Amino acid sequence: MRAPHPDDFSSRLRSPAVAARVGVWLGVSFVLCFLTGLVSHWAQLPSPAIPFPTGPVWGYRATQGLHVVSGCAAVPLLLVKLWAVYPRLFERVDLRAGRQAALVGLERASIGVLVASAVFQLTTGLANAAQWYPWREFSFRTAHYALAWVAIGALVLHVAVKLPVVRAALAADVDDTALDRPGAQEAGAVSRRVLLRGTWAAAGVAVLATAGGTVPWLRRVSVLAVRTGEGPGGVPINKTAAAAGVLATATDPGWALDVRVDGAVAARLTLADLRALPQHTVDLPIACVEGWSAQGRWSGVRVRDVLAAAGAAGGTDVAVTSLQGRGPFIRTVLPAAFADDERSLLALDLAGEPLDLDHGFPCRVIAPNRPGVLQTKWVASLEVTT
Amino acid sequence: MSAARWLIGGLGVVLGAYGAWLALTRQDAGQLVEIAVWLAAGVVLHDVVVAGVVLAVVALARRVLPEPWHAPATLGLVVWGGVTLMAVPVLGRFGARPDNPTLLDRPYLGAWAALTVASVLVVAVAGLVRARRGTGA
Repeated sequence: MRAPHPDDFSSRLRSPAVAARVGVWLGVSFVLCFLTGLVSHWAQLPSPAIPFPTGPVWGYRATQGLHVVSGCAAVPLLLVKLWAVYPRLFERVDLRAGRQAALVGLERASIGVLVASAVFQLTTGLANAAQWYPWREFSFRTAHYALAWVAIGALVLHVAVKLPVVRAALAADVDDTALDRPGAQEAGAVSRRVLLRGTWAAAGVAVLATAGGTVPWLRRVSVLAVRTGEGPGGVPINKTAAAAGVLATATDPGWALDVRVDGAVAARLTLADLRALPQHTVDLPIACVEGWSAQGRWSGVRVRDVLAAAGAAGGTDVAVTSLQGRGPFIRTVLPAAFADDERSLLALDLAGEPLDLDHGFPCRVIAPNRPGVLQTKWVASLEVTT
Repeated sequence: MSAARWLIGGLGVVLGAYGAWLALTRQDAGQLVEIAVWLAAGVVLHDVVVAGVVLAVVALARRVLPEPWHAPATLGLVVWGGVTLMAVPVLGRFGARPDNPTLLDRPYLGAWAALTVASVLVVAVAGLVRARRGTGA
């Protein structure tokens, strides 16, 4: 058996005309994923140089939903794109050509990095959305973030290298064969136009099948979404009280919220104390980094009222600690702009009912335009440093 | 190569190098080795397994299916195959937790089976119609 040769792939569909057109949309989806991913990273920084905005309330819901949906759309696009350029994998490099061979080798290496990082981003992202972690060592967040820069860098470099071919392919008719490999002489089972339409259809089906996780009116259509959007109070649960190990501490009748100012406990508020403070109701979405989101009607006390009850002035970041014993989000920072916002609550109720244990009973943070992982559940204490 | 292309290419190298620096400085050796394994496995998985399976399926379909069916079958493979690969994590329900019924709470295998049946039906109907009309090559 011999190694394959590009001429073994005779279909005219495997052409720059197809690769360039699919590549444009694949590029769009990767750039969307990259930018929305940066927004998510920014939203999760404890104290970013440029403060993350508190509005619009649906902002993070929109960007993170778009992140996951565009990632899903990219899967069929990437498959067709790689199919179209697959013969080039088997092109021989003439090693005697010196500088030329070195350039070709470098370009091959950059394509290798692009394919490897693109596949890595899509597989780890899809696995994370379904809370599946088949890797042992690396941190999903750290690796997905670092490889996002690698993928976008390799993509930009690829565009620079291919720009003349892409421009020529897009300027010519889709059936034009001027740019084709000499070996690609055979008509495919479908025309190039039909293959492209099928590719757009595949991306469309991938979007429709998953977008209902964040677009409520698509819920019935989105049969492959990781969640239906149902749960206590119409809101799904990401981590249960049992998984967080707070069953005993959260249901302890002696639970009280510690409000610390400059390290000293300035107030201890029982659940009855919190209910005695002025109650407010807000309609805010909970939007997960994994792309799903749901709207909730939350009631409880304003964070700024709780701080004022402890004699703390506003205008400072608030550290929120959860009853959870371990995990990366047991202590989060509510930046000053969020802590002062009148829509930021320590929620006691959801949809008119006391908070479900799995939603963070006795009280949880709910603030506008924030990633779900930072909407701390089972709150144990608030802390300000003046 | 024009100055603009060198500039864009340089920007790409800088962005990618920043990502490599992020990975190298924020993960220990064991984590980096595992990331490298996953990166390599992704390429092998596509270039050998997925591409190989597609080549085999297409070669087989060409022999088995009459000519009028080739076009609908190709489109069926693109749509059904792409969506199926995207759905692997939910189809396997690998992340399901017994304590959390709100996660992975849809009948994914049923939905996928329905999608598969629908794809086969559409391909079959289109193939039959094309065969009757005599729209072959």
